[in-house]
Amino acid sequence: MIGAVRLIYEGAFNLFEGPMRWLQRSLGTQRMVWVFLLPNLLIFGLFTYLPILLNAWYAGTSGDRILLGDRPWVGAANFATLLDCESYLNPNSCRRDLFWRAVHNTGWFVVLQVGFMVLLSLIAALILNRNIPLKGFFRAVFFYPVLLSPVVVALIWKWILQRNGVLNAGLDWAGMGTVNWLLDPNWAFFWIVFVSIWANMGFYVLILLAGLQAIPSDVYEAAEMDGTPAWRRLFRITLPLLTPTLLVVMVLSLIRAVQAFDEIYVLTGGGPGSATLLLIQYIYDVGFATRPRQFGLAAAASLMMAGVLMVLTLAQLAATRKRGEDG
Amino acid sequence: MKHTLTISALALMAAGAAQAQELRFMCYQDGVECEAWADAFATFEAENDGITVIVDEVPYAAIIESLPVQLEVGEGPDLARVTDYGGLARFLLDVRPHVSDAASIDARYGQSLAWSRVGDNAADGIYHIVDQLTATGGFANATLFEQAGVDMPGPGATWDEWAEASRAVRDATGVDFAMAIDRTGHRFAAPAISYGAALFDDDGHALVIDDGFRAFSEQFVGWHADETMARDVWAGAGGGTYQDAAGEFINANLVMYYSGSWQIGRFDRDIGDAFDWVATGGICGPAACTGMPGGAGIVGFNHTQHPEAVAKVMEFIARDDVQAQVLARTRNLPANANLQAEGIAYEGVSDDVAAALTAFASSVPGFSDTAFALQGYQFNRAVYTTIPARITQAIVGELSLDEALERLEQDVADAIAAAQ
Amino acid sequence: MARVELRGIVKDYGAVRAIHGIDLEIEDGAFCVFVGPSGCGKSTLLRMIAGLEEISGGDLMIGGERVNDLRAAERGLAMVFQTYALYPHMSVRQNLAFGLENMRMPKDQVAARVAEAARMLKLEPYLDRRPRALSGGQRQRVAIGRAVVREPRVFLFDEPLSNLDAELRVAMRAEIAGLHRRIGNTMIYVTHDQVEAMTMADQIVVLRDGRIEQVGAPIALYNRPANTFVAGFIGSPRMNFLTCTVTARDAEGVTLADVHGRVLRAMVDARTLAEGDTVELGVRPEHLHPDPDGYPVEIENVEQLGGESYLYGRTPDGTALTAHLSGQTGLRRGARAHLAIRPDLAHVFRADGSALPRLRLGELEAAGPGGPVAG
Repeated sequence: MIGAVRLIYEGAFNLFEGPMRWLQRSLGTQRMVWVFLLPNLLIFGLFTYLPILLNAWYAGTSGDRILLGDRPWVGAANFATLLDCESYLNPNSCRRDLFWRAVHNTGWFVVLQVGFMVLLSLIAALILNRNIPLKGFFRAVFFYPVLLSPVVVALIWKWILQRNGVLNAGLDWAGMGTVNWLLDPNWAFFWIVFVSIWANMGFYVLILLAGLQAIPSDVYEAAEMDGTPAWRRLFRITLPLLTPTLLVVMVLSLIRAVQAFDEIYVLTGGGPGSATLLLIQYIYDVGFATRPRQFGLAAAASLMMAGVLMVLTLAQLAATRKRGEDG
Repeated sequence: MKHTLTISALALMAAGAAQAQELRFMCYQDGVECEAWADAFATFEAENDGITVIVDEVPYAAIIESLPVQLEVGEGPDLARVTDYGGLARFLLDVRPHVSDAASIDARYGQSLAWSRVGDNAADGIYHIVDQLTATGGFANATLFEQAGVDMPGPGATWDEWAEASRAVRDATGVDFAMAIDRTGHRFAAPAISYGAALFDDDGHALVIDDGFRAFSEQFVGWHADETMARDVWAGAGGGTYQDAAGEFINANLVMYYSGSWQIGRFDRDIGDAFDWVATGGICGPAACTGMPGGAGIVGFNHTQHPEAVAKVMEFIARDDVQAQVLARTRNLPANANLQAEGIAYEGVSDDVAAALTAFASSVPGFSDTAFALQGYQFNRAVYTTIPARITQAIVGELSLDEALERLEQDVADAIAAAQ
Repeated sequence: MARVELRGIVKDYGAVRAIHGIDLEIEDGAFCVFVGPSGCGKSTLLRMIAGLEEISGGDLMIGGERVNDLRAAERGLAMVFQTYALYPHMSVRQNLAFGLENMRMPKDQVAARVAEAARMLKLEPYLDRRPRALSGGQRQRVAIGRAVVREPRVFLFDEPLSNLDAELRVAMRAEIAGLHRRIGNTMIYVTHDQVEAMTMADQIVVLRDGRIEQVGAPIALYNRPANTFVAGFIGSPRMNFLTCTVTARDAEGVTLADVHGRVLRAMVDARTLAEGDTVELGVRPEHLHPDPDGYPVEIENVEQLGGESYLYGRTPDGTALTAHLSGQTGLRRGARAHLAIRPDLAHVFRADGSALPRLRLGELEAAGPGGPVAG
């Protein structure tokens, strides 16, 4: 069986080797690069760059028709209506109040989620990096949620948090009062932050663990010989040496927090009211969920978000490059 | 030689086109609608030599999401079973020029025919035949009323009376919820109209926030504040997301549930003998006792190669005997006035179901014209999704009711403007 | 300034015993080198002294105090690591000061100590650089400086020169030896390189498989290796061994016959031997000299270094033999050489590997063919 697979594998290589050599001879090594890049460029062009361009075009049109030819050009009107605010701090003063509620919610979400996620991931990674019993088990416990589909994550937590859910059953049993967790705006916001941290933290714990393990153990031994107290070891040795990794984690989680959608959409649907409405859901609501579909508005909102993400991504690139120089 | 082949092939194709007209019918079903129609079309094909109807059963999502896209680019089936007449209006085929007795169809399906006479469509066009009329209405858990010793409000009872009675039952029996209404503007509109909402201005544009609309909105928000309404349904979601409360009703955790006739089959199956339930019929407000009509129907599309054949199918579908036979199997309410009057002999239904079907069927004639108008309004989806988004904000206190209603009016206007 | 004493030190990793009860005394101010092949336990032993590895059994005394249960820093030691283990994110100055700041030493005092160490190790121009901007030798000096500033009772070095190139190694060797002379602290130095051991140590501890094979001054180990292992390990190239049979013994030594019956003499105390015993005759490459009556050797390879030459050959029975001659040689590959063994430079080992006491040390006399044999 394996022999057959190997034969096919080798056969495929032999099949391509001749034509590829011929191509390289006739095109030269320099131009050969394009032969290998072409398939990828085509796929990227068709499924990434073209949609980005189309999105930009849609952002300048209105109507609920799908074909661009049927859509009237309105220029920057979609951006103008999104940005039409008396005060950006008060969504109620904005023409598209839900957009600005989503912006505010997303802002708070990003700050809280990223802040606590990085902090908790760091603490978890520091603990898991020690020689504690059942280390493998605990590492798995933190990582498994990452493997779950966001929808499954949301359904699990919905099951826990709903009126007759596991958490309320536990509280009731313990004689404490029950709370309708997802119906109170503040609690609902707390829980979307909590659940998205729970669902994504394992990934960052993993990165931080790798970062911690990349710190040479002899540095710690030197610190031990230098009589370094534990707190000083953390703040003067571990954290400085982990900074590049922390930076990457921070920017990565920042970008992902701005893009948060699926588990929150399933868990709260943006509710109660618009308490947990985030940007992506606003775009989805405007563009697809409500009729008539306002593709233009959704496209404009997503372009604005893309701008923010671009800045964050550039920050990440700068951070990683800095890390490359440091290493 | 080559030449001859080409000519004979062309001749064959032409002959085939003249003789065998093949129509494709994209169908979705809640129950057995597609099967019933496929069986009925055997009769049609026997009567109309040379026309075949091929039924392609698809999920409802395909009707909602992919059919409009197909139509937009000039593709798609000849016929389909749909619900969004307003959204598809500009693709629909007017079969009036091709049917033998248009007046008879007008007479029998008059009210529902208006649903697709929107936009640039002809004011007297025949664009669809409803084969599943739905009506919104309440369901009450009779067993809970009995246990609580509370008298169930009868036909013609008001929303206030139902609220009071449901609260009493809830408090007496200890269930979680007194009342619930599905989270969509379609359900919300019925009591709003009963409270006097006109919805449309004189030019036929929605959405007008008048005293009637404001009165029910205030009542509805108030019922959430005093926990008459199950908070989980409306406050538990955001935006225009649909949310029902059928699960709570089936679990006997809800005294009175305002939904619609399409739940009958599900309740019959899932509740069984667990408790007795009844359909309330129309519930009254100060101005009316209306529910919202709605329903699936069969349409032809104007890109078809065979408009006459499509018209023949539509006329067949509209026939009283055909409707009676299909609806008896599918256990749906008739949109056909004759059948509404005669009643349909549903096959093998329990007494609960038969009573409920009758209750809903008999409530339809009492529905207000505004309700039919909204159902036929081209932009009704904008109304249906915006109401829950904004009213919920008032329920959870993000906006005052006045702000919410102002935003609601603006949102609908924006959506309509954006679509034009 | 402290005396280090190991009493029955044992290290177990689970069921595996890595260090088998080490007893050792290192005098105050001594430069003690642990040497042995890799895996012999020398680094483990050093790390146990340092406090980086737990001591499974026995007592570790530093300055007369039992320190088994003290943390590394509390033992008053400083360590220089093979990899330098500098703090990569700190400047040289911060690297030097870090340990002192840990002790909450006043700032001016820290600065003074850092300045002094930098002066001593010629690090002043680099104080504000990060370690990655330094050369290997400079990094090594920083590592040493970090140990020096703490003014420890005992310095520990864990193969500190193995990451340096040959030239730097020689220079740093001298520098460390010079440091020891200047400050006179007890130093324990681990290496697998017997040249480092020979050149730097006051006291060499030869370890094998977690046991001490021999302890002594470098020249004592060279002249009187206790067994074939030490004999083979100390001295480069390693000692040649020829399997022989005892044919006669007397007060002056022993007469041996190799497998071909060739007669060899060795001046060792042979009282514990009996005629017919099988022994190993050991002779260092530098103690073989050409002699027409010598041992016949087939030359397989010649290394001419100009000032000295190495001959690699085989005896007729196939035993490998290495000779180190001063000056140049006309011998070529494939030639046959005759190499003689002076009885006063020969070592004899019993079948169990232990050495017989040598009666005379030819090394102390002017070496040369047919030279005088002194008592």
